[in-house]
Amino acid sequence: MTKFNNTLTNTFIYTLNHLPRDSRDTLFLLLVITTVVLPQVAHLPLWCSGLVAGVLVWRGMLAWQSKSLPSRWWLVSLLVVAVAATLATHKTILGRDAGVTLLVILLALKTLELRAQRDAFVVFFLGFFCMLSNFLFSQSLLTAFAMLVALMGLLTALVNAHMPVGKPPLMAAAKIAGKMALFGAPVMVVLFMLFPRLAPLWGMPGGPLQGKSGLSANMRVGTIANLVLDDSIAMRIKFEEKPPASKDVYLRGPVLSSFDGREWLPLKNSGEASHLKVSGQPVNYEVTLEPNNKPWLFALDAAVTAPALAGYELRMTPDLQWLANRPITELVRYKAQSHTRFSYGPEKQELSLQDYVDLPASYNPRTLQLAADIRRDARFAQADAATLAGEVMQKLRTGGYEYTLEPGEYGDNTADEFWFDRKAGFCEHIASAFVVLMRAMDVPARIVTGYQGGEFNAVDGYWVVRQSDAHAWAEVWQAGKQDGTTVGSWIRVDPTSAVAPQRIDSMQRLTAPSGVFGGAMASLWTSTLGGNGYNPLLQLRAVWEAVNNTWNQRVLNYTQAKQLNLLKNLGFSSPSWADLSYVLIAIIVAVSLLGIAWTTWDKRQHDPWLRLLASVRTRLAKAGLTSSASIPPRELARISVDHFGDSAQPLAAWLIQLEELRYRANTGNTDIAGMMSRLKSMAWPVK
Amino acid sequence: MGFIRRRFQQWFEARLPLTDSMLLNQRNVYILPTKAGWMMVVTLLVLLVASINYQLNLGYLLTFLICGSVLVGMHIGHANLRKIAINIIAPQAYFTPATINFEVVLNNTDKTSKHGVGMSVFNKDGHAHWTWADVPALGSSTVQIADQPMPRGKHRLPTLTAETRFPMGTFRVWTVMRPAMHVWVYPAIEPNAPALPAGEPLCGDAKHVMTKATGEFDGIRAYRRGDPMKHIVWKKVAKTWASMDANDPSPCVNLISRDTQHAAAQELWLDFARTGCADAEASLSRLCAWVVQAESLGLVYGLRLPTSEIAPACGEAHLQQCLQALALY
Repeated sequence: MTKFNNTLTNTFIYTLNHLPRDSRDTLFLLLVITTVVLPQVAHLPLWCSGLVAGVLVWRGMLAWQSKSLPSRWWLVSLLVVAVAATLATHKTILGRDAGVTLLVILLALKTLELRAQRDAFVVFFLGFFCMLSNFLFSQSLLTAFAMLVALMGLLTALVNAHMPVGKPPLMAAAKIAGKMALFGAPVMVVLFMLFPRLAPLWGMPGGPLQGKSGLSANMRVGTIANLVLDDSIAMRIKFEEKPPASKDVYLRGPVLSSFDGREWLPLKNSGEASHLKVSGQPVNYEVTLEPNNKPWLFALDAAVTAPALAGYELRMTPDLQWLANRPITELVRYKAQSHTRFSYGPEKQELSLQDYVDLPASYNPRTLQLAADIRRDARFAQADAATLAGEVMQKLRTGGYEYTLEPGEYGDNTADEFWFDRKAGFCEHIASAFVVLMRAMDVPARIVTGYQGGEFNAVDGYWVVRQSDAHAWAEVWQAGKQDGTTVGSWIRVDPTSAVAPQRIDSMQRLTAPSGVFGGAMASLWTSTLGGNGYNPLLQLRAVWEAVNNTWNQRVLNYTQAKQLNLLKNLGFSSPSWADLSYVLIAIIVAVSLLGIAWTTWDKRQHDPWLRLLASVRTRLAKAGLTSSASIPPRELARISVDHFGDSAQPLAAWLIQLEELRYRANTGNTDIAGMMSRLKSMAWPVK
Repeated sequence: MGFIRRRFQQWFEARLPLTDSMLLNQRNVYILPTKAGWMMVVTLLVLLVASINYQLNLGYLLTFLICGSVLVGMHIGHANLRKIAINIIAPQAYFTPATINFEVVLNNTDKTSKHGVGMSVFNKDGHAHWTWADVPALGSSTVQIADQPMPRGKHRLPTLTAETRFPMGTFRVWTVMRPAMHVWVYPAIEPNAPALPAGEPLCGDAKHVMTKATGEFDGIRAYRRGDPMKHIVWKKVAKTWASMDANDPSPCVNLISRDTQHAAAQELWLDFARTGCADAEASLSRLCAWVVQAESLGLVYGLRLPTSEIAPACGEAHLQQCLQALALY
């Protein structure tokens, strides 16, 4: 197979090399454009990808057969069609997505118009923009690598276009392009590290990040099912000490308290104070959060102090959730401190708690009946929230309830269906049914969404939380003791742990088929390794994610804070924006001075023998005897004796010696320094 | 604006030294961004603003990498012209109205090869005809320069410029060179010129006694350059050759020429006043044609112009002398 591929590649290269130069260069450029556009095909409308592919193939055919380009009418009509289609798809031609679509189409259409050198330049510049637009969708290591390859291709094509003579091999141009990029890399590193990171200059048309899944602000039963299938990383956590047990990792997101029968929503105005009290040892950690396009920062329950995140204003909701003043659209990193032992919420029974027992009328009649039945039980008539929750958990544990990713579609009475009919569901069904039941028993209860669990990557020591770790659990309000030893507080109850302890305790997940390829690979591994628990694929994934994480930490998360840290390490006591510019300017000046020094050195005569002769000539010229630069020492000796008379004899002798030093065979005399000192001590001719 | 530009170029051109060979170095190689270069700057700025506004660290990386490549490209471009020695090959003379063609040798004294070096006549403002060449490392390559037809006379070779936009087209790297060498442009040869005029008696002046040509010769002597063919004693030559070593490389010295009164007595004078043309240029053209014709016939001829006179002789040097006199008239 490989051999066949090689032959095919060789044939292709052979054919490519034997095409006329114009055709070869055009085909190469088309190939490069394809690499630029290909990574964002997933984000482009289908018609756009089709049109671009069609145009590129058409242009390729024309180049292959050395035919002439289509008339300008073709271009204009294609452009009109494309703009109309963009308008139809995006309803605008100004937004970010519409812009990218148009950009890609312009790039493709411009290849049909490669008439003058100016056109070629336009293609190159559009290519650069297209490469940048890729980063709007992904800044992963793979994307970076693909774009590096594409950039090298574009530079190669650019260099090749400026080698007008004959038909130079593309490799020659590629080497020069490589040299430019290689020597340009230090410039890139310095600029990247020191160019001040500014806040966005103005708001960009953009809209929500599409294709990024995450928790949502509401919960309609069934939406989290999609998340469970999503293996992408939500955040990475670096614990300063030993990481807590997986079952204790609850990362709080939006709290949902208002239920209309189908959908859970956050409460409109929960003005209550949080009364957060913590105890025990704090956990210190650092979170690297992938963009979620929501203003949510995730912290372990419960973080008292605001996470340290520069560039955002943070506040804590009464529900203990940390919010930023604008959506997280970039990779961010923040330090946080949490106490896993805490209490919060209203300390006494108060009116606002009434919101947390509200249920929509005429939904879930059987659950209401169940609640009434429990309450009628003498044991629970006066029971507190914790006791009731324990009872319901017991029911979940023993009632034959199952955890499944495919519970099917629920009807109107979701809680009834869960408790009595299906007895299966995943965390949000379970949490929702649990809270409905608790509320029916007059216990204030609500749903908390967020992430739970995660896994430790032993390669780089980061705790990895995936979108599949998205979770929904419950909180019930436990009233304080009558004697006042304890006050009222919300307490966490995770009903899913009763149904599927493994979901919470260990990292075992219900795995969804991960595509044909993934499935095949997995079964291959299992069959070859006999399922002994060691999975090289997982190992490989750990390494890959560690590399990716390094990339995220070092490159994508290089922020102004890091820049200023760098300056601190360089010795600035209180570095500022301006200091960055000073360092940058200082480096530019230093490099320029080096350049000047090199130029001066380069201009000077490097041969000490020639330099010595030149110095004698200059001195003689000052004394009144000018001579040409090409004069040999012997001749110089002769004319100086002519000019100065006998007083020039020592100089003449010295000059003859100088000549011998250079030209006599095997004298072994290479004593330039000796010649120099003799010149210094010599009596200089006078007229 | 155009006027100022022209004046600047004239001033700039005038202060260049005259030289026939020039080694390009930091001092005589100039560099400025091209239009494409400014476009590149705008592109980079837009990329930078996009990176800032979308907070794309990878965008910064891309922008700065392109920026670094362009900077390195600037140095590569400048180095692409440095260390080239431009040498001009002495051009041959031309008859109007031919275009001037001459060769320039580019010697690369550097260990890296130079790509896409163009040469052209300076100061053409868009009408320049570029000749492109690659110069291999430590090698040389020759380019042909053509300039538009010039009027007759002695002209300095046009000021030349060498330019490269390698490697990215973002910078124009160029140099200007003013050759010291001259090119002769002779008057046009009149097509179908009338036959050569009749010879004049030697010393046709009244001061001298006119001796009639007897047709007899005074003796023989060795051939001298410029002797007419018809004065060679072919029989004698044949005899000498028969007795000669076949391998003798220089048979010419054995040619024997008549030393005649006749040849001396009758001289061919090509006189400006007697061309029969009213127009001075037409006269020069005719004289030009005659001179060339006389030379090809191997005649001894002299040239008489109102301002100067060239004594009868023949041979290549004499021909050039006559033509130059005609060109300068």
